[in-house]
Amino acid sequence: METGQDLGRALCIITGASRGFGQTIARNMSRLVKPGSVLVLVARSGDDLRALQAELAESEAGRVGLVVECVVADLGQPDGLEAVVRRSQESFSEDLDHIILVNNAASLGDVSRYVKSFTNMAEVDSYLSLNVTSSLCLTASILQAFPQCPGLRRTVINITSLCALQPFRSWVLYCTGKAAREMIFRVLAEEEPDLRVLNYSPGEERSLHSSLATDPTIRKSFSDMFAQGQLLTCEESCAKLMKVLLDDNYTSGAHIDIYDL
Amino acid sequence: MLDYKSSSESPTPCNKPTKMSGKNTTNRKTLGRGICIITGASKGFGRALAHEVFHLLEPGSVLLLVARSGTLLQELKEEMQSFTDKQQLVVHCVATDLSTKEGVNETVKVARQEAVNEIDHVFLINNAGSLGDISGFESLTDLEKVNSYLSFNVSSPLALTAGILQVFPCRSGLRWSVVNVSSVFALQALPSWALYCTAKAARKMMFSVLAEEEPNVKVLSYSPGPLDTDMQEEIQRLTGLSYRLFPCQESAAKLMELLLDNNFASGTQVDFLEV
Repeated sequence: METGQDLGRALCIITGASRGFGQTIARNMSRLVKPGSVLVLVARSGDDLRALQAELAESEAGRVGLVVECVVADLGQPDGLEAVVRRSQESFSEDLDHIILVNNAASLGDVSRYVKSFTNMAEVDSYLSLNVTSSLCLTASILQAFPQCPGLRRTVINITSLCALQPFRSWVLYCTGKAAREMIFRVLAEEEPDLRVLNYSPGEERSLHSSLATDPTIRKSFSDMFAQGQLLTCEESCAKLMKVLLDDNYTSGAHIDIYDL
Repeated sequence: MLDYKSSSESPTPCNKPTKMSGKNTTNRKTLGRGICIITGASKGFGRALAHEVFHLLEPGSVLLLVARSGTLLQELKEEMQSFTDKQQLVVHCVATDLSTKEGVNETVKVARQEAVNEIDHVFLINNAGSLGDISGFESLTDLEKVNSYLSFNVSSPLALTAGILQVFPCRSGLRWSVVNVSSVFALQALPSWALYCTAKAARKMMFSVLAEEEPNVKVLSYSPGPLDTDMQEEIQRLTGLSYRLFPCQESAAKLMELLLDNNFASGTQVDFLEV
């Protein structure tokens, strides 16, 4: 395998793949993995996933043998998580040499509310479940399903944010979730030295922040805009992510921010 | 142990560093006439905090001790009784499970009942916490186990802090202090400790956001150091490691000193081992 040119013959699992940054990652990955690779696309929205699957099947990569699987699942539910692991195991074959897990699925939470408004524990639980727990348990499950073995590279990516490092007023859930997630993957990097762990910050918070600075009243609609992927500088940011992966000389576990590249 | 004096300086505004009064050390600062809430108060560091704090509260203050064990809380209350009676401090034991919303709501309810009294300081110490599974990353495949851990260690202190903020809205003349009992592992990743590190990192961020939002609330993330608690006993048993532990009282006293001196920037983390 030529290093720096492609990501090998890979099984690549991408959460939140149906739109926004996850969708962009799927498209970019499809161009960087060798024929015979498998993409496992995960999201809750079946229609969007299947549309992406069709698009990729008809793409150049699809025509030379990229397999694209869709798993419509809620990763906050045990059966959702199991479905992803099972499909990944079923899709694996011995000639694959790279497992790539992209923890991208996330939600913004209500960025118009302050700490003092979060008196409802269940609301916070629910947010943490989607944004923190599901990425931890999915990663642990996938690593268990695909243990270290010679000839198999394993890469785990966490889509993080400046918000993992810096507090922003009225963004408590988002910052807390990102800080928690980033730590999960830092611990993982310390614990598993043979694993490549990339905490990649695509720079979404700057477009969020600059928009908020101009019009604080649009905070409420941000969750929707975020979910639709309208706030992310997707292509450019994803291209940089792919380069980091191809170059493969980042420090495992370190916070890699698009603006530092 | 600090001596209690009946006269004291008036409470200082949250963000200004307190001036030390020169060579005479007769200035005994206090925590004012406050409502002080300590979670996880039945054992370990929380219990030591209770023992430190009651000396620093003025007559008319209220101390809420929150933990699951009513028995242990009652014992603690009795240990302090002669002093608290003499100094007119009211002590409430709130025996409840803070991993549940009922527990959080119960605590807020008791605090609300005390809101009728005139107080000049609201002081919340988010101490309750748990170790979680430290056997390694691959044992963390169970959603319920991880959700449950995050609920107790992250959601609960957020909801409790929010609830108490609602009961005692910021106003001028009201000093507001929040302590997050943190850890060096809020900042540093430790292999096999994903749950603990994650929750501590989450809490550190959560309380940092609070500091950004509320200039009238003084927020301190305090890393108490390795203490002689049941949690450390468990850690040493599980890991086979043995290292120096500090007495809870010493770290609790240091925290009180930090709060009285009030020289830290709101939202920062201070470590017992570094002060």
